Amino acid sequence: MSLWRQLTRGLSVLTNRTAADRELDDEVRHFHEEAADAHVARGLSPAEAARAARMEIGSATVLRERVRDYGWENTVGTLLADARFAARMLLKTPVFTVILVFVISLGSGAVTTIFSGMNALVLRPLPGVSDVDGLISLRPARTDGTVLEQGSYDYYRYLRDRAGTVDIAAWGRVSLTITAGGEGTAAYGNMVSANYFDLLRVRPALGRFFAPDEDRIPGGHPVLVVSHAFWNSRLGGLATAIGQRVLVNGTGFTIIGVAPEGFEGIYTGLRADAWVPLMMQPQLRPRSNLTTASWLWLFGRVRDGATMEASRQELSALAVARAADQAQTFPPGTAPTVRVAALSGLPNGEGRILLGFMSVLLAAAGLVLLIAGVNVAAILSARYSARRRELAVRAALGAGRSRLLRQLLTEVLALFLLGALGGFVIAHLATAALERLPLPSNVPVSLELSPDIRVLAFAIGVSLLAGLAFGLGPALQAARKDVAPRLRDDSAGAGQRRTLMSRTLIVGQLALSLVLLVAAGLFIRALTHGARIDPGFEVAGVTTAAIEPEAWGYEDAKARRFYATLRERLSGLPGVLTVSYTGRLPLMMGSSPDTITAGDAEVGVHTASIDVDYFAALRLPVLQGRAFLRTDDERAAPVAVVNETLARKLWPEGAVGRTFRFRDAQTTIVGVARDAKYATLDETRPAFVYFPLAQQWQPNQVLLVRITGDPALFAAAIQGAMLAIDPTLPRPRVNTLRQATGIVLLPQRAAAIVTGALGAVGLLLAAVGLYGIMAFTAGRRRREIGIRMALGAGRSELLRMMVGEGLRLAGSGILFGLVFAAGASRLIAGWLFNVNPLDAATYLAMSSVFVLVALIATYLPARRAVKADPLAALRVE
Amino acid sequence: MHEDQSTTDVIQGTLDMLILKALSLEPMHGFGIARRIEQTSRGVFKVNPGSLLTAFQRLERAALIDAEWRQSDKGRRAKYYRLTRAGRQQLEVETTNWTRRASAVARLLKAEG
Repeated sequence: MSLWRQLTRGLSVLTNRTAADRELDDEVRHFHEEAADAHVARGLSPAEAARAARMEIGSATVLRERVRDYGWENTVGTLLADARFAARMLLKTPVFTVILVFVISLGSGAVTTIFSGMNALVLRPLPGVSDVDGLISLRPARTDGTVLEQGSYDYYRYLRDRAGTVDIAAWGRVSLTITAGGEGTAAYGNMVSANYFDLLRVRPALGRFFAPDEDRIPGGHPVLVVSHAFWNSRLGGLATAIGQRVLVNGTGFTIIGVAPEGFEGIYTGLRADAWVPLMMQPQLRPRSNLTTASWLWLFGRVRDGATMEASRQELSALAVARAADQAQTFPPGTAPTVRVAALSGLPNGEGRILLGFMSVLLAAAGLVLLIAGVNVAAILSARYSARRRELAVRAALGAGRSRLLRQLLTEVLALFLLGALGGFVIAHLATAALERLPLPSNVPVSLELSPDIRVLAFAIGVSLLAGLAFGLGPALQAARKDVAPRLRDDSAGAGQRRTLMSRTLIVGQLALSLVLLVAAGLFIRALTHGARIDPGFEVAGVTTAAIEPEAWGYEDAKARRFYATLRERLSGLPGVLTVSYTGRLPLMMGSSPDTITAGDAEVGVHTASIDVDYFAALRLPVLQGRAFLRTDDERAAPVAVVNETLARKLWPEGAVGRTFRFRDAQTTIVGVARDAKYATLDETRPAFVYFPLAQQWQPNQVLLVRITGDPALFAAAIQGAMLAIDPTLPRPRVNTLRQATGIVLLPQRAAAIVTGALGAVGLLLAAVGLYGIMAFTAGRRRREIGIRMALGAGRSELLRMMVGEGLRLAGSGILFGLVFAAGASRLIAGWLFNVNPLDAATYLAMSSVFVLVALIATYLPARRAVKADPLAALRVE
Repeated sequence: MHEDQSTTDVIQGTLDMLILKALSLEPMHGFGIARRIEQTSRGVFKVNPGSLLTAFQRLERAALIDAEWRQSDKGRRAKYYRLTRAGRQQLEVETTNWTRRASAVARLLKAEG
């Protein structure tokens, strides 16, 4: 009842303040009249009685204020009044407001964009999975710290059948070609254990998921679950898709279910289009051995009552027991164990690396927010010192310090709230732009970076925090109690301390943004340097396409025929110089190290299987002996081509004709190829061996076509030639070699973009800050300027004086920035392809940019100041 | 002036009780209540109008009193306060409490003396 009254009365007061005030006034007046009457009754004259009553009761306004203070609605009312007042103040100076909001938006936008990425990649636990409690990833490992990431089916089965604390599922990746209605589509598949969806507690959007007996017999149940996106785009989003027969890698499958929207497998960014039972592996990946090959990722859900730690102990004990069962031996000090962690959307090792990388980026973005905040603090304190009369008057009229402070903070927080929204919008645009950036890779990356509600909350939280951090200082200073001196205070010489503070802040901003820009400059240098590094072959003029006969359901003979036919057809096309194939693209040949045995020596090497004409297609010279010939096929004696480094190391007196053992085959060296870059641009001449594809056969290869003219225009010809051979093939992905190998420079490119963008924003902010403080001091010094001009100082002289002052400020910022940058650049030295982290040209160039910007930022306000009419300037105040 | 020295502000926390007591006989307007408290206490308590009006707000919100505007006997429009049923109960409770406490304090002072 009384609570209800509190609420309704409070609301009625809030909504109709005037009525409430009038009622109160009426009551007070009545009080007055009665009191006066009482005095009259005691014999006073009406006028005296009225005065006596007034004295008794006191000021009606104060009385009203006191009564008005009562009730919860007054706190709200004050807040609303503060907000209204803040809005009025902000609207009164729209330019100032827009600049501040813009500055805050940039800072908050930088942080929010990076956080969006972090959120999408690292934090959003598992898209499409709602119940993540108890889900863990299991990684086979050794006690010496090696982590194997994946395990074999046998390993999985051993743990699954014996573990009592956790239910375990397994999955592996597979390339699929799904042919529905005669049209093939390349798809990324996951082969999963039957309990995969059950453990994730994901419900089908349509149809059903796998039944336990559908994953018992190898090849027994050709059933398929497709992703929501695939169902929509390829199957028309029709309910009749359930039960539909399709070809998957050449085998007939039945679609039994559609996964819920948003669920695309458990690794963020590695999209899955379809799921098939593990037991269909013989049909889909005939070349790998289901039981012994380690290609499965394992995850589990801890059973009720058990803990993650209990599971870890049990699983590790099981791994040891399994090794003992199989009489596996390990070097002393290492035993099998299982690593357990909460299941996140990232392949385990990468999660931490990515988190680290993103944290570094977040720190860089935080630097920008810092600059923005510093900027805002500087502008605010300048602003308050301009408003100090208003504040002093309000203090003199009885506004308490806390009241003033609250008012100022409301203004600041309103600004930062607007800035947060601006930042959110910026993050939205920036992530949309990032998502559109083409990734030079064939990995099925589909990133959903767009900010969600968590990002919005982050943006607002960070901005309000920044608002408090950077707004409290100036506000505290402005709300100081010493009214009288400030009322007396006159513009000359006042706020010296505040100006000094603003100057320090500007110097700090310039220094920080210079650090970012120097980093960006170094990355750009590394990028151009990297692009100029001679990879040892000619990247230009080559078109590539990934060919995956395994995913088309081709058996080996058919695949070989396909390769031969395609070569024939392409060779006949105008402009084609050379056609070849390779197991892996150059610059992406980062294979696990292998060994060859030459004489008694075991030598670590990296290897690649390449087709005839590979060296010709890449224009990679064979220095001694010969390249591979068509006669180096599976019936001929094993041959190899080694690189210079290996040749020099093992056979300095001539390698051609020498032999070594590789996987138990006596192999003869027929040629020595010039050293090239194989996996990365900054590798140092690894020993490398090429084998003929015909002898080291692998079904999935990459096509290399060297043509005259623009390779990008050749994509359609390649697609046409492939579909002419087999019209059911999925549309192949065709790239130029330059695009396909561009990924080696991705870290530098990403880092250059991010630090460059952040640095540019930082510079912009610093320039705005510099402009602001110059304009402000120019405004404060109008009288001084007026006097100087009246005394005969020339405009250009004054201009020089003021610009010089600004440049001195910028100069110290640049100096500090260079020192910081020199220290910080050491941290990124590893990414710079031997570009000196103290590269003088970069430092000089970036400093010049700063000087130029500082010149503009100081010249404009200075010119405005000296252009003012000296008389008008003298009349001010 | 002489009179002022003998008056004192209402004891902290008792104003609400005094208002309720004043209203227990009949509905009254603000000045009437103030005068009633002064007169009944024989001028010992003087009520500050600000405190009084704030107390009205508080009591009204707590649903212990109701208010309505009507003509006073002098023909003026005045805001009359009236005890609610909850207010009457509250008055009883507070009276009992106060009596108990006051006599306890009186005993203590006597014992100390």
